[in-house]
Amino acid sequence: MTMRISTFFYTLWQGIRNIFRNKGYSAASIATISASLFLFGLFFSVIDNISYMVHNAEQGVAVTVFFDDGTTTEEINQLKIALEERPEVKQVVYVSADDAWAEFSKEYLGDYADGFTENPLAGDDNLEIYLNDVSKQGELVNYLEKLDNVREVNRSEITADTLTGVNRLLAYMSGFIIAILIIVSIFLISNTVATGITSHKDEINIMKYIGATDFFVRAPYVIEGMIIGLVGALIPLGFTYFFYNRVVGMIADRFSMLSNILKFMPAADVFRYLIPIMIALGVGIGFLGSTLTIRKHLHV
Amino acid sequence: MAWNRTEIPGPVESGEVVISLRDVSKRYSREAPAVSHANLEVHEGEFVFITGETGSGKSTLLKIIMHQLVPTDGTVNVLGYNLNKIRHTKIPKFRRNLGVVFQDFRLLKDRNVYENVAFAQRIIQVPGEQIRRNVTDALDMVGLADKYKRQVTQLSGGEQQRVAIARALVNKPFILLADEPTGNLDAETAWDIMQLIERINTQYGTTVIVVTHDRSIVDRMNKRVIEMKQGEIIRDDPARTEEEYDEYYEDENAYQDVDSDGYDYEN
Repeated sequence: MTMRISTFFYTLWQGIRNIFRNKGYSAASIATISASLFLFGLFFSVIDNISYMVHNAEQGVAVTVFFDDGTTTEEINQLKIALEERPEVKQVVYVSADDAWAEFSKEYLGDYADGFTENPLAGDDNLEIYLNDVSKQGELVNYLEKLDNVREVNRSEITADTLTGVNRLLAYMSGFIIAILIIVSIFLISNTVATGITSHKDEINIMKYIGATDFFVRAPYVIEGMIIGLVGALIPLGFTYFFYNRVVGMIADRFSMLSNILKFMPAADVFRYLIPIMIALGVGIGFLGSTLTIRKHLHV
Repeated sequence: MAWNRTEIPGPVESGEVVISLRDVSKRYSREAPAVSHANLEVHEGEFVFITGETGSGKSTLLKIIMHQLVPTDGTVNVLGYNLNKIRHTKIPKFRRNLGVVFQDFRLLKDRNVYENVAFAQRIIQVPGEQIRRNVTDALDMVGLADKYKRQVTQLSGGEQQRVAIARALVNKPFILLADEPTGNLDAETAWDIMQLIERINTQYGTTVIVVTHDRSIVDRMNKRVIEMKQGEIIRDDPARTEEEYDEYYEDENAYQDVDSDGYDYEN
């Protein structure tokens, strides 16, 4: 459908007019959408951050494989290559006994390491296996334990299962609450637009006598809904943006001893997704709400 | 005013048939039909009165012509559109050929005179600068060029009806349909409005159909008259010749009682 620029602006202007013509309903709709999208933004930020932390924690999850005495470096290297072929394996690092001792002594002994004249970890050459997918850890451990030459397999103590579980629960709960709020928003927008249509019955009739197309009659109401949705998205976005860094800073201060786990995402990373998602949701809610009403009330 | 259509000097009956009703009936319920077996042909450039008492079916007939109502029986053809079969998406295009005027004006009360007329142009998506020209022309025609900035609520009834006529005219319709256009006006204003409508008919060649129950106006105008009673067309008289017309006024001296009591304010 082609549309003249003047028609576009006229339609847009009519849509804006509609919003101001029934201020009360428009304000109520905007408030509900704002509230639901604010909650959405809140949950989104929290879940996004938890995922981020889980991801970070997973980076450190590793399976360590120790070998029987007499296993050659060549054999260990063969296994390393074989393991790197596996899809769930991200990286395999060969740690020689000397490396292992150097790291251990540096981390835990500091200056006291001087007391050791020979490497107490001799023969503890090992492979550190980092995973793409932490949930496959058990499977990998089983596989490794069945191999010849393998003396011991240590799985990492920090499993991310709990964190992932919490995150999933939170996602379900917030999804449920947000779904209800979105339905309420659609209902309210629908009511707002219906009120507008009712109060403009005469005008709509005149438009029909003059020969307005369905599109021309309906467009202002759709635009009304979409603008309400847009405003309803921008308000909580501004709100969330304003508070994100403050809240993150505050939590980091309060729980500074957890600073190695509590690594928050930078605001820019969160909002790169949050802005388009929330605007799309708001405008979508507005579009849906008004379209449903028009179908029901505007038989042109 | 530049109209794209051939101008026809005065009413003619020889033009193409623009409205054709064949055996048209409309019933709302099981009771007596609002319109019953109506046959009617209107030619291009004609001026036709449809008259009759309240409830005689004249407004229903008009609504059938503008496809606001679909007849229960019979065929309706307007400007080559078969209104029995017209597709929903074609209705706007069809209606753009009609100008409609109502008894209660139906103006947009929150807008000024100019915007009310421009509204009709916006709906059919005329470009901006053309709207200005056309609205000015239409307001000139109805004699309201100097009041274009007024809110319509500040205007008298007659002026409001002129705005409504300008709105009906601005899209240059082939047919002007007026449903009791003078019903809310005093006799003098009513006469002015009728003269304006007649001028539109003669100047632009617009086919005009006026529904009215006001006998005085019908008698005074000397046009084709279709009279309805209980849903049926009981009379279809062509306009009188000049001699007949003069004779009529000498005999009846009808004009005298028109303004005093020939008027029904209830409707």
